[in-house]
Amino acid sequence: MTEVGSAYRAYRAWVTEPLTPPPVVSVVIPAYNEEWRILPTIGAIATHMSARGEPWELIIADDGSTDATISLVRDLRFANLRLLVAEENRGKGNAVRRGMCAARGKLVLFADADQSTPIEQFDRLAALIDAGFDVVAGSRAAQGATVSGKSLTRRVLSRGLRAVVSRGFGITVTDTQCGFKLFTKDAAQELFSTQLVNGFSFDLEVLYLARHLGYRVAEVPVEWIDAPGSTVDAAKVSMQFLRDLLRIRLNRVLGRYRRARPSERFGA
Amino acid sequence: MIIRTELEPSRRVVHLVGRFDAHEAPVFRDVVHPLLTAEFTVLHIDLAQVAFVDSTALSELVRLQKAARAVNGEVILVDVSDPVRVILEITELAPLFTIEQTSAESL
Repeated sequence: MTEVGSAYRAYRAWVTEPLTPPPVVSVVIPAYNEEWRILPTIGAIATHMSARGEPWELIIADDGSTDATISLVRDLRFANLRLLVAEENRGKGNAVRRGMCAARGKLVLFADADQSTPIEQFDRLAALIDAGFDVVAGSRAAQGATVSGKSLTRRVLSRGLRAVVSRGFGITVTDTQCGFKLFTKDAAQELFSTQLVNGFSFDLEVLYLARHLGYRVAEVPVEWIDAPGSTVDAAKVSMQFLRDLLRIRLNRVLGRYRRARPSERFGA
Repeated sequence: MIIRTELEPSRRVVHLVGRFDAHEAPVFRDVVHPLLTAEFTVLHIDLAQVAFVDSTALSELVRLQKAARAVNGEVILVDVSDPVRVILEITELAPLFTIEQTSAESL
């Protein structure tokens, strides 16, 4: 290869030189059987985050993958990439929780493995943390968001679930499920060591807890591109989501959120 | 993604702008693959303004390279953006291509 840019040089330094100061930013990617998508996503995230010039770390939180995801990530041997391997598949919420609790950055982002929200959107979320918010949720529903490739079925289901969430839980965030959320370290540690849902509805639960624990939550419109090849069954996930809504309410009523899990507080 | 082609007497250049992913692969195949002919066996693909390529896009580039090699030609990637360069490296696909840094004027 020939001439390279400053982002590439920053990436090479990040790959080869272990951080000496603690990271300013941690990026957590949950991964379950992502052998087809994980490497381009890591490449895009590593280039952008390294170019920002702040110390940062990448955490891949495996969720019991049975394909080559683990070996692909492990073989990269990046100095500032940590791979958290799970022995069994327990759900996206579980994977994100392990990653968020292991994160050391002052800011902690979790981002889906399919790069459906381009990492360049991080900067918009970080600006709101700087403005005093504790949790910033990327949103496909907020005014100004651009959404590409989302099927009609998914759009209708999303709209219906949004209405339920808003009326039933008083959550003002219009898109609870976008896989791109940024937290301060304190918020991430408290929220993810308290939440209990292992499945897709963990986002909703985290926002619900954030509201009840008094965190300042903002929503930012993001660019979102549907990633082809998703194995998510929208109807099935929606039914599970409704069941989880009831479970979250029940957990609250029974006082289960008072019991934090110190063993997971600082990661696996 | 925007695909713009330059068909010159001496060579063919394809400029890509945007995100090259599985959504774009069918159009890329329809538009770009036919540019390889017995007369034009070398294709230049300008990737300066591509910020992300997914695995499907990578497989399209490899497929194109195989087609070019089959007619004793090649695909040359030009002005590869930093993120695409990194993705080509970590997927170990970079050695399959000639990668050139060329001033915009010469394209």
